[in-house]
Amino acid sequence: MGVAQRSRRWLVPVTAVAVIAGVGTLGPVVADASPKLPGISAQDLLAKVQTAKVDGLSGTVRSDADLGLPAIPGAPAGSEQLTEMLSGQHTARVAFASPDKARVSVLDNQAERVWTTDGKSAWAYDSSRREAVKLTVPEHKTTKPEKAVPSYDPQAVAKQFLDAIDPTTKVEVSGTEKVAGRDAYKLRLVPKTDKTTVGSVTLAIDSKTWVPLDVTVMPRTGNDPALEVGFSTVSFDVPAASTFTFTPPQGVKVTDKKVPSQDRPKRVAPKQVEPKQVEPKQVEPKQLKPGTAKAGEPTVIGEGWESVAMIRGAQTAQLTGNGPLAQLLAKAPTVSGTWGKGKVLTSRMVSALITDDGRVFVGLVTPDTLQAAAAKAPR
Amino acid sequence: MTSAPIVTHGLTKRFHGGQVAVDAVDLEVPAGSVFGFLGPNGSGKTTTIRMLLGLIAPTSGEVELLGEPMPKAHLRVLPRVGALVEGPAFYPFWTGQANLLRFDAADRTADPKTRKARAGEALERVGLSNAAGKKVRAYSLGMRQRLAIAVGLMQRRELLVLDEPTNGLDPQGTREVRHLIQELARDGTTVFTSTHLLAEVEQVCTHAAVMSRGKLLRQSTVEDLRAELRPRLVVRTPDAGTAAETLQGLGVTDLKTSGETVEGDPGELPIEKFAAALVAADVRIHGFGLERPSLEDAFVALTGEGFDVAE
Amino acid sequence: MSPNEVAAEPTEALAVGERPSAGRHTLALFLSELRLVFGRARTQVGLGVLAAVPLLIGVAIKIAGSDSGAEGFIGQIAGNGLFLIVASLGLSLPFFLPTAVTVISGESLAGEASLGTLRNLLTAPAGRSRLLAAKMVALAVFCLAATMTIWISGLIVGFILFPVGDVLLLSGSTVSLGEGLLRALGIAVVISLSLLGLAGIGLFVSSLTSTPLAAMAATFGTFIVLGILTAIPQLHAIHPWLLIYRWQSFADLLRDPPYWHEIGRNLLLQGGYLVVFYAAAWAKITSRDIT
Repeated sequence: MGVAQRSRRWLVPVTAVAVIAGVGTLGPVVADASPKLPGISAQDLLAKVQTAKVDGLSGTVRSDADLGLPAIPGAPAGSEQLTEMLSGQHTARVAFASPDKARVSVLDNQAERVWTTDGKSAWAYDSSRREAVKLTVPEHKTTKPEKAVPSYDPQAVAKQFLDAIDPTTKVEVSGTEKVAGRDAYKLRLVPKTDKTTVGSVTLAIDSKTWVPLDVTVMPRTGNDPALEVGFSTVSFDVPAASTFTFTPPQGVKVTDKKVPSQDRPKRVAPKQVEPKQVEPKQVEPKQLKPGTAKAGEPTVIGEGWESVAMIRGAQTAQLTGNGPLAQLLAKAPTVSGTWGKGKVLTSRMVSALITDDGRVFVGLVTPDTLQAAAAKAPR
Repeated sequence: MTSAPIVTHGLTKRFHGGQVAVDAVDLEVPAGSVFGFLGPNGSGKTTTIRMLLGLIAPTSGEVELLGEPMPKAHLRVLPRVGALVEGPAFYPFWTGQANLLRFDAADRTADPKTRKARAGEALERVGLSNAAGKKVRAYSLGMRQRLAIAVGLMQRRELLVLDEPTNGLDPQGTREVRHLIQELARDGTTVFTSTHLLAEVEQVCTHAAVMSRGKLLRQSTVEDLRAELRPRLVVRTPDAGTAAETLQGLGVTDLKTSGETVEGDPGELPIEKFAAALVAADVRIHGFGLERPSLEDAFVALTGEGFDVAE
Repeated sequence: MSPNEVAAEPTEALAVGERPSAGRHTLALFLSELRLVFGRARTQVGLGVLAAVPLLIGVAIKIAGSDSGAEGFIGQIAGNGLFLIVASLGLSLPFFLPTAVTVISGESLAGEASLGTLRNLLTAPAGRSRLLAAKMVALAVFCLAATMTIWISGLIVGFILFPVGDVLLLSGSTVSLGEGLLRALGIAVVISLSLLGLAGIGLFVSSLTSTPLAAMAATFGTFIVLGILTAIPQLHAIHPWLLIYRWQSFADLLRDPPYWHEIGRNLLLQGGYLVVFYAAAWAKITSRDIT
């Protein structure tokens, strides 16, 4: 009986474990319970979003991507950045002030990458290399830096999706949720075709400012989001003008660049690829330009969710030989058809077909759809 | 409270192996006594003392210390109890004085203002004043033993529980410790001291209890314990045969003859009758008298075994 | 009556004895504990090693010259001595600091048990819960002392060997030297708090044994295992629960403005570990037979 009484003391640490684990895993769920908001139709909600206008905002954006992309060690600098941004969790601070001031800081581990513009000049700063790049922006080209990193601006990502809404997509208001402490409507888009790997796209739209606060992309299979980008904190106060200025500090190497050479710092380009992939054709060519300037204009085949981008002669040099990418390709299954012969790479969300004659087909579609697109593609 | 400083009821400790170290011990230590807790090594003395002080939990049974239940009331009771359990234990990298200060600081009823002075007094009492500033690492076992007693002397205590306090001391040190115990007892402190040395009990204790194989065989005053054994008639004579016959004739039982010594249980007859009868029988008497048995005899009589028996 | 409970604690709240001088000097044990931890040569040597970290880094960079081109905080030392503090703290975090905490925490209860002094303390009586609290407080103070040692040593060495001036933050903006020092101080505090979870584990392991070396080895082993688990990407689902997952977040103090989210998460996690393992140590030490 003495033993029983003494072992009762162990209930204290056991309870502590239970409480902490419970709060840690269930706490956020409870705290994010659906707020009560008046009902709204999808159409009204969309209208509100189209007219949404804020003079400024600032906040913290978190992205969590699990596209199932293979890690490619030793891949070219550009694709390394691409893989990095499309996998794992990232946090960025964003600020925006109407009409042409914007700042994005990606918070890396013990480092930070900053892009900022005050409307006259734009800066890119990398703390780990202590290098800054200055861009002089022509007066009329004001929106450049925002567009440079659209994946960290839920507003831009969401709008692109909304533009794409057409008969291929079912749109509904699927409830409410709290995002960054604000009451928001959930707008859900479900592709009507089964040729895409996208299961659904859900936007959380602020019930006061009608600004999209969060985008969640679910794959057709599986329960974990393939991509979630959203505000974890947000304020709609206009940030101070000083937020957007950048004074190159001592000891930092500064490079001057002139716009409009389109020759933006390379690391910026890959991030544009991500929204390009999930969005249909109309916005696409414009977006693609900077990153693939040398690889020729991509052609878009198909419509809506089934769109496939074809890139001609893109980086095929790196696909042959002994590099890790080549090794990855060597393991990929070979397919052939009326279009020729090639290798297929698939992941949770993205599929790619690399033909022997140096064309690359990429899309958020099933491999079969890729092949069908290849058959229709001009040589 | 006038009740006995230490009372236990059915105190039992069974270790994980199922081995019973202490088996239903009922102790009662009277106030003001110097209580000798006697038993060979391994008889359960130290385990009992640990339970008295709340260091280990009894499997069953109860302990009352200074009228309060242990270990429930240990924070109230233990400041009034000085303890030395199972050999001296100190921080070897600290001086003797620093060690005393630390253990005193652990008792929140101890006044920090008088701490140093009290440590000095305690060291003085155990004769360690000169070694106060030496690291305990450099102490001999005897010095550590005395330092351990000094821990108990940092405060006025109503009860001292000492586990083998003279262990490792030289004869001079042993005498000093025994003297100290008697002095403390005179001041009204009840002293409960375990030992496996009978001589120690004979010299300093008023009461004694005997442990063997985890059981408490006996507890009483030292006098009573000794008195239980009948004194024996001892005659030393060259005429051992005649003497034995004579004594037998007078009803002396349990006669033993060895060399020139004849001894036996005299029964109820007054001693002078034997002397007269022996003289009448022309027995040459070199020595004659009644001998009281030693405590060792008492112990052997109780346990049926000698001392220093480790179980 | 519950005679079978060793050292039941509720009576702690009751009045103490009849001794005329009876009072409540609860803090004396805590002070004595600090004296025990910081008075030991072992502790002082450990702190000395930590103090040498900035010196070694500083001298190495001075010899290598300023054009070493290293990335991160190390690369900034030659330009601003203040970054010696940050770099030294950052470099000590993965190994030196955990080792020091492991040694001190593993020693805490197991050391007393092996010397036998635990008996003396408990019959004093220290009270098992209070003794445990004193041990934990001393451990926490040690964690702070360890990081502050690096801070101070980094400050001295950095200011002697290198130029100092306004401090470039990760975000590309600059703050005054004073604010930079304050932020470095914040980093030292955050790192010392980051060590509390490990200290809690060490205290618990130490309550289980009477062999300090075994306690140290087990604690350090646990730390290594947690580090390995953190390094396996396939386990990302459990990563947020691992002790050292957010240890690197201290650098968020060097953003403009400081980014508190990850630091807060880290400190919450440390608090969680501390509560669980402290409670386990309590359960063990209050029910353990002291031999």
